[in-house]
Amino acid sequence: MNFLEMLALIPLFPAAGALINGLLGRRCSRACISTVACGTVGVSFLLSLGAFYQLLGRPEGQRLVEQELFTWIPAGAGELSSGAISQFLVQWGYQLDPLSAVMILVVTGVGFLIHIYSIGYMAHEGGYARFFTYMNLFMFSMLTLVLANNFVVMFVGWEGVGLCSYLLIGFYYERKSAADAGKKAFIVNRIGDFGFMLGMFLIFTAFGTLDFTGVFGLVETQAQAGVLASGDATITAICILLFVGAMGKSAQVPLYVWLPDAMEGPTPVSALIHAATMVTAGVYMVARCSALFVLSPDAMLLVAVVGAFTAIFAASIGLVQNDIKRVLAYSTVSQLGYMFLACGVGAFGAGVFHLMTHAFFKALLFLGAGSVIHALSGEQDMRRMGGLRTRIPATFWTMMVGTVAIAGFPPLAGFFSKDEILWRAFSSSQGHVLLWAVGVLAAGMTSFYMFRMIFLTFLGKSRMSREVDSHVHESPKVMTVPLGLLAVGAVVSGWVGIPHLIGQYLHHLPQYFEHFLSPALAHPAAVEGGHASEGLEWGLMALSVAIALLGLWLARRFYLTHPALPEHLVSRFKHTYTTLLNKYWVDEVYDLLIVNRTKDLANRLAGFDNRVVDGAVNGSAWLTRLTASVSGFFDYWIVDLAVRRSDLIYYLSFPLRRIQTGVIQTYAALTIGGILVIVGYFILT
Amino acid sequence: MTLQFANVLVFLGVGALFIFVNLLIASLIRPSKYSEEKLIPYECGENPVGSPWIKFNIRFYVFALIFIIFDVEVAFLLPWAVVFKELGWIAFIEGLIFIAILVVGLAYVWAKGDLQWVRPEERYE
Amino acid sequence: MNLGNLDSLTFFYPELILLGGILLVVISDISLKGLRDRVNPLLTLAALLLALFYTLQTDHGSAMTLFEGMLALDNFALFFKAFMLVAGVLVLLGSLHSEELAAVHQGEFHALLLAVTLGMLLMANSAHLVMLYLSLELVSLTSYIMVGYLRSDRLSNEASMKYILFGAVSTGAMLYGFSLLYGMTGSLDLFAIRDALLAQEVVGFNQVTLMLVVVLTTAGFGFKTAAVPFHFWCPDVYTGAPTPVTAFLSVAPKAAGFAILVRFFLGGLSQPAGEQWGFISGIDWPLVLIVVSVLTMSLGNIAALTQNNLKRMLAYSSIAHAGYILMGAVLLTGTGLKAMLVYLFVYLFMNLGAFFVVTVIFNSEKTFELQDYNGMFRRSPFLAVAMSIFLLSLIGIPPFAGFLGKLYIFGAVIDQGLYWFAVVGALNAAVAAFYYMRIMKHMILENDDRPPTPLQISPLNRALLVLLLVPNILLIVFWSPIDRWTANSITLFGGL
Repeated sequence: MNFLEMLALIPLFPAAGALINGLLGRRCSRACISTVACGTVGVSFLLSLGAFYQLLGRPEGQRLVEQELFTWIPAGAGELSSGAISQFLVQWGYQLDPLSAVMILVVTGVGFLIHIYSIGYMAHEGGYARFFTYMNLFMFSMLTLVLANNFVVMFVGWEGVGLCSYLLIGFYYERKSAADAGKKAFIVNRIGDFGFMLGMFLIFTAFGTLDFTGVFGLVETQAQAGVLASGDATITAICILLFVGAMGKSAQVPLYVWLPDAMEGPTPVSALIHAATMVTAGVYMVARCSALFVLSPDAMLLVAVVGAFTAIFAASIGLVQNDIKRVLAYSTVSQLGYMFLACGVGAFGAGVFHLMTHAFFKALLFLGAGSVIHALSGEQDMRRMGGLRTRIPATFWTMMVGTVAIAGFPPLAGFFSKDEILWRAFSSSQGHVLLWAVGVLAAGMTSFYMFRMIFLTFLGKSRMSREVDSHVHESPKVMTVPLGLLAVGAVVSGWVGIPHLIGQYLHHLPQYFEHFLSPALAHPAAVEGGHASEGLEWGLMALSVAIALLGLWLARRFYLTHPALPEHLVSRFKHTYTTLLNKYWVDEVYDLLIVNRTKDLANRLAGFDNRVVDGAVNGSAWLTRLTASVSGFFDYWIVDLAVRRSDLIYYLSFPLRRIQTGVIQTYAALTIGGILVIVGYFILT
Repeated sequence: MTLQFANVLVFLGVGALFIFVNLLIASLIRPSKYSEEKLIPYECGENPVGSPWIKFNIRFYVFALIFIIFDVEVAFLLPWAVVFKELGWIAFIEGLIFIAILVVGLAYVWAKGDLQWVRPEERYE
Repeated sequence: MNLGNLDSLTFFYPELILLGGILLVVISDISLKGLRDRVNPLLTLAALLLALFYTLQTDHGSAMTLFEGMLALDNFALFFKAFMLVAGVLVLLGSLHSEELAAVHQGEFHALLLAVTLGMLLMANSAHLVMLYLSLELVSLTSYIMVGYLRSDRLSNEASMKYILFGAVSTGAMLYGFSLLYGMTGSLDLFAIRDALLAQEVVGFNQVTLMLVVVLTTAGFGFKTAAVPFHFWCPDVYTGAPTPVTAFLSVAPKAAGFAILVRFFLGGLSQPAGEQWGFISGIDWPLVLIVVSVLTMSLGNIAALTQNNLKRMLAYSSIAHAGYILMGAVLLTGTGLKAMLVYLFVYLFMNLGAFFVVTVIFNSEKTFELQDYNGMFRRSPFLAVAMSIFLLSLIGIPPFAGFLGKLYIFGAVIDQGLYWFAVVGALNAAVAAFYYMRIMKHMILENDDRPPTPLQISPLNRALLVLLLVPNILLIVFWSPIDRWTANSITLFGGL
């Protein structure tokens, strides 16, 4: 089988699953629904594996497969900024290159495990069919997003995942907080999409096409020909607009506010959409457009600064959160910041590498958290947990693996990807020692809050209420097996990208991952090589591990050995603590500055609508009624009177309905009459 | 050129005039003495019995229609027969097809019982 | 290229298949007593589908004429042939589970359906006045019988009789127009007529006679398309005929009428000039048709406002739509013609859909009265939603297919600078929205006191409804194939 020719089937299977479950789900048994949902995603995963394998089998220069299914929008000619005319023609096309190959593997692989897990997690919930319909629809959209071969189809996927995210956050729509969170996510994302769309428009006016190969090919030739200089204003504008889109989707400051609230959705949703796949779409998009970004150092700097700031900002909030899912949510925001930091310093490969490893361990952590919540009958506050290590051992050990991985201890996945990013932030020509320092500090915080979560949840004494305590149970196999598989991934997924520094001692193990990705990504001029010695690299690596250890030690001291210490600190740094606990009051500030102002504007517009527009409508209605009553008067006293008097006027006055007498002779006469009238008219004129 | 149509118009006019003028002249010069016998409609020397507004059996029309179909068939077959030898086999096959189509029609009419004067009641569906 | 008789047969498969189908259905009807009710629909369906297959397969290279200039084979004709056959298939499927027709023997119905489709295929092709007249009569005669198919129903008989009489008057007028044309040009071949008119080598060439020809022939085409003032038969006939037949009449013969109208006026009375057609000096037939179009849509819409019988209302609605479709034919441009084809195509699905819902409701309710539609949403939400979609499509509200049709038509009219004409069309669409919405209001908002009993819809009918809904919903997304197909189909033999 040639899997490369079956690209279209990869998104199609989940779409079919969504269709089947959406249309027939209400009449099917739960077993049937979950078989369809998981089966279709499973087939997609197998197809992705096959396609990936066959792509690997190709020579390096030819690892790009494009498949155009049909012409979607042949909208005609459009004028470009250069004055030339170009056809706006969008094909519904898919493309597989190393970048999208990695993405589909992550999406279908992690997605498949989460689907399996959901069977157990959702077993006692209502809306089973609805849940799996949305999940499958999400898979379809996400796969369309990453497989698209042009911006428009990518945008379809982009909006599709946004829609599914909205639907799934508000899955428990009868709960107001969930419905509000869904709306918030949707609206904040719209702001980002606005940027994305403007970026697309600008790309079309600048290049006359929206195909990836077309745009990036043009950029490359124009850059080589010297037409496009580095720092070109149009390119910078395009990059910044696209990055605004990425900020919305990938929850970067200042558009990150929706992601923590998104935890209102079922936990598998948080794992799939708000940790592993959808939120990384922004990173994917920036990596996809790397050819554009490398031409704009200003935009790159913006990306790096926003990424670094988000990393530390979100990590600092994560330090004091008490809700287990919120800790993970802020951790996700922070890790996404890392990925953007990598992209911003020109290490797109490292960003995508972290994206992949993060997908494994963050999905694992979320699913683990879900398992904990499941075991505690819905309890999410870590202050009412503790001592669960022996009660739910499988969950504990898998989550432990995830925590060690995210904290960055070798040889687990997080160490390699995070260290790669930090090293590049330090050494790259576009990096800066400050960016590196921020990254290291955030890494320490990560280690602290992750171990804080583990200690509060699993170790120490139980702080559960007696009723909850009596019901604690390990999750079923259908949930723990995916946890185990993801834990394996969290351990080994980093090994495909072992840095040269370490690889040289392990039988010269090459840096597979970035080498594999490199044909699909652009490289800033002076990134390769770096400007530091090997010793420095070892030193920094040791330092980042040391920082992680410091975080672990602090967390242990605070929450295991000296439980009184946090209280003490809280009372000492009261202001800092409340600021952090209230997430820097960002939501409140947004409400005050933007949300309420928008509402005021809306109210004022509504007032205008009420008074002026409705007034005009009502006025014209009054006028109509007046004329209607006048004409009614005329009708009654003049027309009707005439009707009662004379058959001739009777026929003339209600001609349209009354003309249809049912007498065929009349019809014939009227027809001939009509002919004569027309002929007469033409003879006379 | 228009004059050629004018001829037609004149012809129409003269034709119409001819009738009306003759009737007019006749009514002017004839004596008018009415008797009962003169007012009876003329019907081949027979005295008419009953009203002429009677219902004909609808089956007359069916028979007339079937008759016309085969009448036309013959009309079509005559020119065919004239050139039959020149055209050869193709003409023969074409003729057969033409007749076969009409035979289907005949079979249909037969099966529906329309060849009998009194149509068997059970044929009505 | 003009093909002789025997060579033409290769391009004549669809018609031959239909002819064979008719004979087979008649034979099976009289020989297979037990099986015929099952065999006949299958035979009919097979013949229609096979003919459709061959029509879509036809590769005629460039436009040409068949049978010594009797028929023209071009993309335009192929579009209409495919259109008629699709309409035939849909109506056949819609008639299978119709309670109205279930009461009578259906053998002849299927043969007649095939015969009328055959007539329409010939109509769309004819390039010769005699062929044109004969095919038109074939369609008319068969439709008379189909209208009167319910022998024991007085309304149906009356409708059939009116249809015959009115048809006789209209086609008589048309024949008179043809005879004048023949008298002037000495030819019955459309292209020869055009050449003679262009060369001004005609007997008695004057504007009055030619205008008379235009108006008289319009009577014949207007009769088929139900355009004012030749529409009088339409409400009565549509009301009396069995609903599947009404649905068929409102779409297929109407489209065939437009096909010969375009063929006659553009092929016979105009000259191609670059991107456009120009009418031959002295014969300002577009003006006549613009007047007819305005009258048609206005009268249709206004008269529909006060109807309470669904079939009658839809009859007036289909008159109004003929007005819109005519807008595209009078513009003398390729875009106008294309707009007309697009409109016809979407009209096929939306109008058949609306009539089909009426059929389904009649099956269980035995009524066409609007007030009996009250509470339909609670009894069968599917049916009410489907009807709403068809009606919204008929109004021309995006995102349904009808919008596409209106968009193309009004766009083409505005392209030609006929702003007032477009305004009239738009005003009419607004008037039309009123009575379509009225049906929706009755179905969805108004409830009667009776507890809602679920409405039974047979699986076949349900499937057909979905089949009709799909184009109405999806065409707006996948309009580019339609756009390409119709743009291709405006090539006329001897035209552009």
